[in-house]
Amino acid sequence: MTTKPYKFLIVDDFMTMRRILRNLLKELGHLNVDEAEDGYVALKKLQNSTFDFIVCDWNMPKMDGLTMLKAVRADPAIAHIPVLMVTAEAKRENIIEAAQAGASGYIVKPFTAATLDEKLLKIFEKIERNGQQK
Amino acid sequence: MNSFNSGGKGESQSASGEEILARVGELTRLLNNTWHSVKFENIIHQVALQIPNTRDRVNYVVKMTEQATERVLNSIDIAIPLQTEMSCRALQLETEWQASMLDSTLPANHQQLIANTQSFIASVNQNSITTKAMLMDIMLAQEFQDLTGQVMQHIAATTQEIERQLLQVLIDYSPDVVDKETTTNLINGPQINPENTNGVLASQAQVDDFLDSLGF
Repeated sequence: MTTKPYKFLIVDDFMTMRRILRNLLKELGHLNVDEAEDGYVALKKLQNSTFDFIVCDWNMPKMDGLTMLKAVRADPAIAHIPVLMVTAEAKRENIIEAAQAGASGYIVKPFTAATLDEKLLKIFEKIERNGQQK
Repeated sequence: MNSFNSGGKGESQSASGEEILARVGELTRLLNNTWHSVKFENIIHQVALQIPNTRDRVNYVVKMTEQATERVLNSIDIAIPLQTEMSCRALQLETEWQASMLDSTLPANHQQLIANTQSFIASVNQNSITTKAMLMDIMLAQEFQDLTGQVMQHIAATTQEIERQLLQVLIDYSPDVVDKETTTNLINGPQINPENTNGVLASQAQVDDFLDSLGF
């Protein structure tokens, strides 16, 4: 388990999914969670506040998750934040695009609590490995 | 309407150009006759009128499922902390009783009562842990609203497009329907039938394998 508390940003246009993700994160011990309903709102929050982790949907109005991911990776101030995509988009093209754009993980909806836990742990391990190298 | 005079399978596959032209001419005449006799514009008009009705129904389903999901999530938000509290307090009481059992001066009939209470408290703890797990499962199942909601949005958009095109047909009074090209885009929403759709990964395991194969 991770020792340092992470601050999460959940980005999804469906309120139901934001609530589910928030509850799942809470159950995994992550209580510091904020929400955004699209990529545009998310970027504003990312620029005004510090976050350690982004959980992001793909298909959203105003700004979709891929565009947001690219914007995050292009901004040196926030480029280091891991982005876990949680989306119903399951085409090969989607996964290739997301991976090339710098997604840290990819979960296809519908998903299970175990899948979320597993992917988060994998990303945390990577962060901590990289942190030790520095 | 569809009593086209199709030649049948037995005929030569390599029909000459003239034969094809004759067939197309025949079909064109048939279509032209049908167009005038059946009053297509009336049918199209009726269909176009039905579409707003259909759109309302789709919106109704979206609204009702969203409301139901919200009720479930609201209840779960209240119930889960209650279960957590119950389990914590039961665990605490159990420990306290265990400590007091060490006091041998307690009368024998109290010993039995304490043992019963202890076993009850243990079951409270176990049951509330199980109940909490079930509540988490119910909560996660509510993600259907996101998935069906996206499908409904697609249906609504398609219906709107059909309506627009039908109205255009009426305006132009022409049976030409513009072919909507099927381009590959990245917003497709939940896969209704992932096993039988090309280029779609049917499970998380397949997604993981695919990412591994890409070297990520």
